[in-house]
Amino acid sequence: MSGGGGAAPEPRKHGKAKKRKKSRRLGIRIDMTPLVDVAFLLLTFFMLTTSMSRPQTMEINLPPDETKVDVPESNLLTLFVNAKGDIFWSIGSFQSAKRIEFVKLRAFLKEQNTANPKLITLLKIDREGKYNTMVNMMDELNLANVTRFSLAPMLEADKALILKAQS
Amino acid sequence: MSKIKPKRHGVLIDMTPLVDVAFLLLTFFMLTTQFKPPEEVQIELPSSNSQFKLPESDVMTITLSKDGRIFLGVDSQKLRRRLFGPENELKGSIEVPKERLGELLIQARTANLKLRTVIKGDKEAKYGVAEDVMNILQKTMITRFNLVTNLEQN
Repeated sequence: MSGGGGAAPEPRKHGKAKKRKKSRRLGIRIDMTPLVDVAFLLLTFFMLTTSMSRPQTMEINLPPDETKVDVPESNLLTLFVNAKGDIFWSIGSFQSAKRIEFVKLRAFLKEQNTANPKLITLLKIDREGKYNTMVNMMDELNLANVTRFSLAPMLEADKALILKAQS
Repeated sequence: MSKIKPKRHGVLIDMTPLVDVAFLLLTFFMLTTQFKPPEEVQIELPSSNSQFKLPESDVMTITLSKDGRIFLGVDSQKLRRRLFGPENELKGSIEVPKERLGELLIQARTANLKLRTVIKGDKEAKYGVAEDVMNILQKTMITRFNLVTNLEQN
């Protein structure tokens, strides 16, 4: 009580008579609570609605329309994906295709590319297949460091080949 | 003689620094937030291990919906008005028939040469549609584009 230090606006009932009468200065206290409430509300809102991470993307370079590259058959690895998402592969001439599991694909691609560094991969996906399949396949190719691959439409002949491989 | 009672102060915590920080954060989030124009369709993205980030501006998005429809969107409102007319400028993307896509792509590219093309396809979309779109892109000499994906969670 005694060491009030001037700032404390405590009302003194028995003011000392010798002191001059001052007009009492009240420290103005504004209740900041509602302001802070609103501030935090907004803060939470903006924090929750902000999406910090931008989505990932996968870059693709297509060759210009006219370019045709001739590849010797033995350097061509073709991957077929049918409508159900089953994967088949063949190297060279389209005589036969073999089925491969998706999980084994990465190791297979790596192996094939170390065996033949000039290998070009061709990806043929059925039009009825899912877009997700395409992204997964490309992702596997990227992960296996196969940077040179191209997409080709699946022809009826290819579909027949797959059917033959399935049976 | 009464015992000396410990005096009871009303506890006053100085909230000023807290409030300062709160306002600082508030300002930061308010200024950095960009509100996306509402999407026309809900897209469930496929996931991949690719590390490229989507560029922040000058993006042209081709959206492939689950049911095989194609939407085209650009991020600048000005360009949207130019391409799709003033009635559509507030929409994020516009449904575009396959036949008109090539023409619109060329228009957009001539209006803004820096425009990057991204394809945002739904997981469940048919590959056929994506194939068609990629053929159109190839025909319109857009040979470099990105596919939007989520980061794969292992």
